[in-house]
Amino acid sequence: MEAVINEYISKELVQDSALLPLGNATSLLETGVLDSLSLLRLVVFIQERFGIVVDDVDLVPENFDTVDAICAYLRTLDGGKTGQAAGRA
Amino acid sequence: MAYLLQHLLRDSAARSPERPAVADGDLFLSYAELDALSSRVARALLAQGVAPGDRVGILARKSAPSVVALFGVLKAGACYVPLDPKSPAARLAAIMTDSGIAVVLADQATARQATELSGSVPALRAVVVVAGPHRGGEAPVSPDPVSPGPAVVPWAAVLAEPAGALPGDRSIETDLAYILYTSGSTGTPKGVMISHRASLTFVDWSAACAGLGEEDRVCSPAPLHFDLSVFDIFASCKAAACLIVAPENMTVFPARLAAWMDRERVSVWYSVPSVLTMLASYGNLRGAGLSRLRTVIFAGEVFPATHLSRLMAELPGPRYLNWYGPTETNVCTWYEVPPGAALSAPVPIGKACANTDAFAVTADGERVAKPGQEGELHVRGPGLMSGYWGDADKTAGVLAGNPFQAAYHELAYRTGDLVTLDEAGDFVFLGRRDGMVKTRGYRVELGEVETALYAHPAVREAAVLPVPDELLGNRLRAVISADEGLTREEVLDYCRRRLPGYMVPDVVEFREALPRTSTGKVDRTGLQSTDIQRWDEAGGQ
Repeated sequence: MEAVINEYISKELVQDSALLPLGNATSLLETGVLDSLSLLRLVVFIQERFGIVVDDVDLVPENFDTVDAICAYLRTLDGGKTGQAAGRA
Repeated sequence: MAYLLQHLLRDSAARSPERPAVADGDLFLSYAELDALSSRVARALLAQGVAPGDRVGILARKSAPSVVALFGVLKAGACYVPLDPKSPAARLAAIMTDSGIAVVLADQATARQATELSGSVPALRAVVVVAGPHRGGEAPVSPDPVSPGPAVVPWAAVLAEPAGALPGDRSIETDLAYILYTSGSTGTPKGVMISHRASLTFVDWSAACAGLGEEDRVCSPAPLHFDLSVFDIFASCKAAACLIVAPENMTVFPARLAAWMDRERVSVWYSVPSVLTMLASYGNLRGAGLSRLRTVIFAGEVFPATHLSRLMAELPGPRYLNWYGPTETNVCTWYEVPPGAALSAPVPIGKACANTDAFAVTADGERVAKPGQEGELHVRGPGLMSGYWGDADKTAGVLAGNPFQAAYHELAYRTGDLVTLDEAGDFVFLGRRDGMVKTRGYRVELGEVETALYAHPAVREAAVLPVPDELLGNRLRAVISADEGLTREEVLDYCRRRLPGYMVPDVVEFREALPRTSTGKVDRTGLQSTDIQRWDEAGGQ
């Protein structure tokens, strides 16, 4: 999962090649990779790739600041909430 | 009589000294404090030899210290030039050299970046550090001077200057208050010169249009170099309202932004539509409260009707105002979106603001008078820019005579925007006459991006095309023919060192050669129409 998300962010969202290879613990906010529009693209990708729905209230830095954080968040959805979240669409 | 921007501060500080002027996280400035601190900054600038009419750079994000800084510059009789700390050093150096900046105001975060600019701007002679008033805690530190480099004036030295009002004014209303650099078609940014009088024309109208009062808490995430910031800084000051500074990155996460706006009791919001689209889609607005929010203003790009409708349905309380205008006029027309309206097309840009006239001229030189006619929007009035810094030719190209005034010479600004009228007599935006596009609310001259690409030694041909995008306005697609071995990463890297982020192409495509028209020009229409489909198939979105 880390590899898939890292690859998407590296290929599609990172503009500054000095950030590559992208560390899974690198802050996407502090490095300017995430702004309001790149976040939206990332969310759309994650929803389509993993078949889940990201709830408004889950769109917080704690869940999206690093590749590791995104994966940890996605695993909490896998742990039972995924179906429930998908049902909210 | 308030005829200079700093008079707004003088008057509000006299009338409402204890009212909050700026709230920036834990940092608060009352009007009395903002007035006193900015007088100290002005004296520190005078001590560095700043003379009336000089350009002083401000290298800082929008913050309590940078608001202190810009009022300090104005009180010194100088003109401020916002320098975006996120811009590449080469672009900052180009702007500083073009406008002849010798003194820069920086904050704690940018002081070192400012001193290092002296490497490429030898004329830079001083960096003055601006911070906030101390409420206990440690005094801020200043960077070690770069040797040899500009003098560094620490905040402690600024605080040692007297706080009282400076004797007399050092400017008149036709003097420049600020220069805002925007994208230029020939490859270098151009400096839009705005006088005190022009700025106050907008400030007076906008404060009245938004109905600002002392109780208002006004927020705009627009940075200093974007002219939206003139509203939250100066219109708030006129009304003795409170400017709320949005923390860095606050607009990234919509639900967090909505919760923050509620907590900060923001009453008037001003931003580009894309931030509001994100709020409408992901802001959890029905649960966010936001009961204090009474006016939402958007400008800078077209707000797609579906997203505006959704926002107004999610958040039905506030007034919604569409403000339109290029940097050269600040806002020149406006439209209030009727509540509950069923929107099927982007809302009109509306009618002219107070003390401003807007009219459209057809290709035949007639005034657009009825729906269906199309023409280029022209603007006349005291709100016009003074011109482009150091570029009389470019100025003459857009600040031409009013074609409908034969008796005497009167300036009118040609916006380059094509408009028509609707049945209600409101102007409706149709598109551009030239190669300028909007992306993320910023204007980009495609020629400036192409010039940056052509500067790369391996690039043989380059064309930059807009790809319409509902959220961004446009994405930028670069089509390049280049010597063997040039990679997409190299191209992007090269651009990032020369252009601000919003001007860096989103997509880079390589070709053997670019198609040409019969006259030998790059066939943009051909590139645009035949390739979108291929580009979509390649996975772009």
